[in-house]
Amino acid sequence: MEHAYLGIDVGSISTKGAIIDENNQLLASQYIWTQGDPIGAVKELTGLLEKQFDKEHYKIVATGATGSARKLVGAIIGATMVKNEITAHAVGTTTFYPDVRTILEIGGQDSKIILVENGVAVDYAMNTLCAAGTGAFLSSQAKRLGIEVEDIGEYALRSTHPTQIAARCTVFAESDLVHKIQMGHPREDIIAGVCNAVVANYLNNVGKGKKIISPVVFQGGVSKNKGVVAAFEDTLGCQVIVDPNGHLMGALGVAILAKKGSVRRDFDFSVENMEFHTREAGCGGCSNNCEIICVYRGDELIDSWGNRCERGARVH
Amino acid sequence: MEAMSVRKVAFPRYAEYNCAFRYIFEEAMDVRCIQPPAITRRTMELGAKHSPEFVCTPFKITLGSMIEALEAGADTLLMVHGLCRLGYYGELQEQILHDLGYRFDFINLSEYDMGKKKEYIKIVKRINPKVHLAKFAAKFMEGIRMVEYLDEVTAEYYRSCGFDATGGQYKAAYRRFLTALYTARTRADIEDAYRAVRQSFQTIPINKPLRPLRVGIVGEFYTVMDAFSNLELEDKLSGMGVELYRWMNVTHQFFQYSAQKNMGVKIRDLCTYEMGPTATANIWYAKECAERGFDGLIHVKSAGCTPEIDVMPALQTISGTYKVPVLYLTYDSQTSDVGLMTRLEAFYDMIEMRKKVL
Amino acid sequence: MEAKKKPVIGLPRAMLYYRCRTLWHAFFDELGVQTVVSGPTDRVVLERGSSRAIDEACLSLKIFLGHVEALCGKCDYIFIPRVSSFGRHRNMCTRFEALPDLAMNVFRDSGQRFLTCDLDVLHKKDEAAAFLDLGQKLGFPPRVVRKAYKTAKKAEQTQYKRLVRAQEQLYKADGLKILIAAHSYVVEDPYIGKTVTAYLKKAGAIPIRADLVDREEAIKRSGELSYTCKWEMSREIVGSIVMHYDKVDGIILLSAFPCGPDSMVNELIARRVKRVPMLNLVLDSQSGTAGIETRLESFIDIIRFKGGQL
Repeated sequence: MEHAYLGIDVGSISTKGAIIDENNQLLASQYIWTQGDPIGAVKELTGLLEKQFDKEHYKIVATGATGSARKLVGAIIGATMVKNEITAHAVGTTTFYPDVRTILEIGGQDSKIILVENGVAVDYAMNTLCAAGTGAFLSSQAKRLGIEVEDIGEYALRSTHPTQIAARCTVFAESDLVHKIQMGHPREDIIAGVCNAVVANYLNNVGKGKKIISPVVFQGGVSKNKGVVAAFEDTLGCQVIVDPNGHLMGALGVAILAKKGSVRRDFDFSVENMEFHTREAGCGGCSNNCEIICVYRGDELIDSWGNRCERGARVH
Repeated sequence: MEAMSVRKVAFPRYAEYNCAFRYIFEEAMDVRCIQPPAITRRTMELGAKHSPEFVCTPFKITLGSMIEALEAGADTLLMVHGLCRLGYYGELQEQILHDLGYRFDFINLSEYDMGKKKEYIKIVKRINPKVHLAKFAAKFMEGIRMVEYLDEVTAEYYRSCGFDATGGQYKAAYRRFLTALYTARTRADIEDAYRAVRQSFQTIPINKPLRPLRVGIVGEFYTVMDAFSNLELEDKLSGMGVELYRWMNVTHQFFQYSAQKNMGVKIRDLCTYEMGPTATANIWYAKECAERGFDGLIHVKSAGCTPEIDVMPALQTISGTYKVPVLYLTYDSQTSDVGLMTRLEAFYDMIEMRKKVL
Repeated sequence: MEAKKKPVIGLPRAMLYYRCRTLWHAFFDELGVQTVVSGPTDRVVLERGSSRAIDEACLSLKIFLGHVEALCGKCDYIFIPRVSSFGRHRNMCTRFEALPDLAMNVFRDSGQRFLTCDLDVLHKKDEAAAFLDLGQKLGFPPRVVRKAYKTAKKAEQTQYKRLVRAQEQLYKADGLKILIAAHSYVVEDPYIGKTVTAYLKKAGAIPIRADLVDREEAIKRSGELSYTCKWEMSREIVGSIVMHYDKVDGIILLSAFPCGPDSMVNELIARRVKRVPMLNLVLDSQSGTAGIETRLESFIDIIRFKGGQL
């Protein structure tokens, strides 16, 4: 029996899973929509991974969880490693691209930049508040223009005169977009404009003051969009690498971290059939009124978090 | 004020310094101090609701704290003077509170010329006309001493609490110290509290590695110190096992500023002039930490803080020159605990992996 | 500095340029130093500036950095003074203290050199001293510099008096008079504030600038409205409102997002000046002209409606 490692990355938009062997070779992978239900998504994901997985030759000895729902998912799958998505992405990318110097990442609701030297992340930044320039922004604009998100790239590449779109804030961008449509700009020019705006916003906000050195790897959901990739290459004046498995980098990274970790616990695919639910409890211990999240497997409380002080520890 | 009633004075919550405010009001000025309740989300929401939208966050929090102080029975509010927007907090807060229908006496230090000693006496006499000036001076100095002890002990606490080998005794000792300061009535009480915490810190076993991760914290005067405002940044970070260094505090900025000789000269390559009230100190300290080989720097400010935004390009220069990562944290009333934790965890992972390789 | 070839000085057309241009030009002209001014603000200037500035910084700083970038490589020195205070309770926003060092750090890699001087009356450096220092940095003897400053100051005063007189005439004019309370670098900038005054004129109203006022009197009278206001330029505007609010039909508080002093002073003005219709207009790099025109139009309609003119 050879050892294998599972990594699960649950983001706001999509849920990704990857199983690797001792040499970081991909044994199984899956990508599905989270659809606002991280528990359901993880159960579905493990079911789909199980079908691809060769149980005869391998067994999963360590599991990792990352992404914005990492705590919840970590509790459910009994993860041996729970890591934030920035670290997971950096570890995943540097494993497959040891020479990388800059990692650009634009996901559903947030974006980040990671600078790497000698295979180690040395600096990073994340977007602050606004969702402009993220995947959520792109898909809402695609919807407004009546095209599928998947087609944005094709449309953008056809444009010769991209329209100027103000993209710093979603509200402003939308009104500007409507205005440009009314003015009669062609659709592909507007879409190319949106792609340029995403890049400009990213570099102004997340990439401010950071020296972007090639090789540059671009990942996250938006990296699937050829229009944005072209806009990045244009602006940065260098090649931008998009890995076909780029969307899995977080899951791969946390699988590698689980492998490097010291804890070993065999993973049980039966989670897909278990009942999990969460309950939100207001602490009420003080006027912070922290919302405490309790996770149950059947009737058994397996984890809870959310309290700012010790007072909340009593509420379960 | 009529002789029959004693003033009930309040100053908005500011980190743990309210213990010294209370001591000075009650012991030095013989008036009652109404301690506003600890800042909670309600304080923030109250303040934000009645504040102009684009004002800096400390304005909103202190306004919220003033409302809670008035609810608790205060009849006199005090607001300090400052070199940035802080210098205008008082007048606008007074107006907003009046428009809300509160009636109170407002002592706004911006009305006075804080460069002159005579003005201080005027303020004291206004708060309590019957105050005995010699006694006031002595007790006031004890209040200052309290601040100095608090800052010294807090600095030591965050350098070591992440390595407490006993699982909580270190924190308990610090908590006891704070409680003692909040209830101190005499100089002896203050000295006893200080001695006790020093002794605890020396005897509680600490399990610190030879070369621990060291992080320097710089930033805007209110948010960098106030644990509620910065979402317990220092507790979160030290809890991961990091030695924290923060120069910026009331003692250093107000009582011992000149003790750091030639701050401006040491950063001549980064700036020629004073760029703002805390700019020189922050740039100097960031450079100092970088030169001492710290693993990372954190810059803390509230959203829209003009002077600290202007410090950032100099910090970017330091980051590039000394190859030290800087995490920039901007807080507004919407900043979430979870988002901050993700950033801090990633920062910790990064500096830890860097240290292993470099 | 080389004695033979006189350097060319770049002046960014932003921030204090609008307030001080007569003085600056006259001073450098008097010394025989050639100057070059960046072009008027346009979209490219703002975009370049935005890419250099910290995202949270105010619109005016973004525009300023765009102008500095436009001058990089086109002159020997870019002139950016540090302006801190004119006396007690007469300060500038800290951004004006930071400006030269801020620009030097932002443009550190460009190799561009900067020229600066320090105006900080609270630390005993008045305008005459600042200009003396400036002229000496350029290699001129003190006697020559003092004379140049004196001449330039006179030119500035003459010019400014003319501007104030012209505004005072407007208060007596017939028509719908709108007082615009804004910093000179906001209201005069062709890309942002000018669009507001241009629209008002087109709509048949008379825009009057609050900042063009007898400064001494305005500073004195600002205390009637706000007793601890400490920003020099805000006090001039506040004082001007005290002097003129009963002579106008409406007031527009025009500010560049997110201006620190304006965020508080405009709130106070709105809470204390009750009898005149007031519009709070915040200009952002993203605010399209369409939205602003709608707001201006309805503001004017409301005033006219109240006067029964609609």
